Amino acid sequence: MTVQEAPPISELLDARTVQSIADEVWPSLVGDGEAFVPVPVPPPTEAVSAWVDMTRPPTVVDDEDVADALGELANVLGGNIKSVLPGESRLGLPQIGVAPPHGRLDDVRSLVGQWRGNFLTITVQGAAPAPHAERNEVPL
Amino acid sequence: MRALVIDDSRAMRRIVGTILTGFGYEVREAGDGRQALDALQEGSAEGWVPDLCCIDWNMPVMDGLQFVMAVRATPAYRQVTLMMVTTESETGQIVKALAAGAHEYLIKPFTADALRDKLALLGLLPEEVSA
Repeated sequence: MTVQEAPPISELLDARTVQSIADEVWPSLVGDGEAFVPVPVPPPTEAVSAWVDMTRPPTVVDDEDVADALGELANVLGGNIKSVLPGESRLGLPQIGVAPPHGRLDDVRSLVGQWRGNFLTITVQGAAPAPHAERNEVPL
Repeated sequence: MRALVIDDSRAMRRIVGTILTGFGYEVREAGDGRQALDALQEGSAEGWVPDLCCIDWNMPVMDGLQFVMAVRATPAYRQVTLMMVTTESETGQIVKALAAGAHEYLIKPFTADALRDKLALLGLLPEEVSA
């Protein structure tokens, strides 16, 4: 199955599935058992700095650390979401940016959450056109 | 015990490294498979061969599966235990990694206890930790 032929992501994933993955992944990464609590308000992201903080001694956290942590969070969340999608799909390397390329704006599963008082949004968006997933894998 | 932690995420290298250090491991890090092969080569030259490699799958330059295959093709590294530590969780991926020569497979996110259990299974948990 090619990505172009795949049904919309919003048909493949329901909000409860995204929520359950966030509930499992987030506390596992931050390590203190606090759930990722959904809230009905718009985001940004100081929570990521807090997570970076927990992965290292209390030194200065620079932009590169924040980008790295965001990428790994996206990677782990993406991998877990991929595992519940039917058919074949591939996980690309995470890309960090202020304005990531838009996929299908009408094909979105989004979760706005709060962790330690900070807001964070997880959005799974259908791709249009097919995403470029870089792989270095050698077939067996 | 010695471990080489291979992941393109610094945060994840730090998490795995910190847990392993807590178990008494001496830890080195690499950011992709190519760097890891270089680290193995340089380590060998100075007598530092890891007991364990913790390997992410999706990395730039050389991914984890390529690294596993390269290590398995090198007789000098036959004693090195290879454990995938990755978000790739489908059965097919796990089978593929094990077929390529990985000994164990740990899916992210994981806890320190899960890593400890895997090391115990592999016989790579120092006695003072397992006691």
